[in-house]
Amino acid sequence: MALTSPASVDAFLESPQAICALTHDRIDVQAVIASVQDDAAGATATFIGTTRNSFKGKIVTRLEYQAYSKIAIKTMADIANTAIESASCSQHQPSTVSGKVPSVIRCAIHHRLGTVPVGEPSIVIAVSSPHRKEAFVACEEILEEVKRKAQIWKREYYEGEDENEAEWKENA
Amino acid sequence: MSKPENTINVLYFAAASTAVGKTFESFPIPQDGLKLSELGELLISRHANTDLRKVLSTSQWSVDLEMIDNPELVLLKGGEEIAVICPVSGG
Repeated sequence: MALTSPASVDAFLESPQAICALTHDRIDVQAVIASVQDDAAGATATFIGTTRNSFKGKIVTRLEYQAYSKIAIKTMADIANTAIESASCSQHQPSTVSGKVPSVIRCAIHHRLGTVPVGEPSIVIAVSSPHRKEAFVACEEILEEVKRKAQIWKREYYEGEDENEAEWKENA
Repeated sequence: MSKPENTINVLYFAAASTAVGKTFESFPIPQDGLKLSELGELLISRHANTDLRKVLSTSQWSVDLEMIDNPELVLLKGGEEIAVICPVSGG
């Protein structure tokens, strides 16, 4: 197993519109979805990233994640807030509404740390909004930004290979 | 006994921690400060015969939980928490 940094700890940061979590526990997908529910939401978009059993023909036995948690949780919150702010106004809004109904109501980003066995979720993102387009757009934007910027690292272990040689991956 | 204030804390993750064989270290820096742009060479000299130079060539720095765009502009004075941020792979 890779050296575990004492900085790679569970973390939680919540604001009225964004819930971000780093956890060593199995992610409760239904709880993450429930955390963004709102009576004003007509749509909830969800992304679940799971450990895949192969990479370029090699059999993956498990993934390990570590994070610089104090900075990663801030990065995740910034990503969530940016996605909320940049959500465009839906064309469904009547012209009399002065913009009080947000295009994205709430988002949740949960990322797992430690060992994630094949088939289990490593990241779950849920976004609620009045209408579907904003939810889909925000969900994808959050995922791509987390992959680009969050201070989280993944190590992939392959069947039949020396664990000490396992590679730390780099997102393109 | 508390650490002298001219000590910096350096955190290593992922490929950086694999290269140096540890996840953190603390050491004093000169009284009149150390440029962040010079920290890399200092760390490499502390960990000779490792892959650290190669890891640092693709990594960024964070200082006190802020990512640094331009290391040339940062002067460390002591007390900072610095991390080697190698290319990320979350999500």
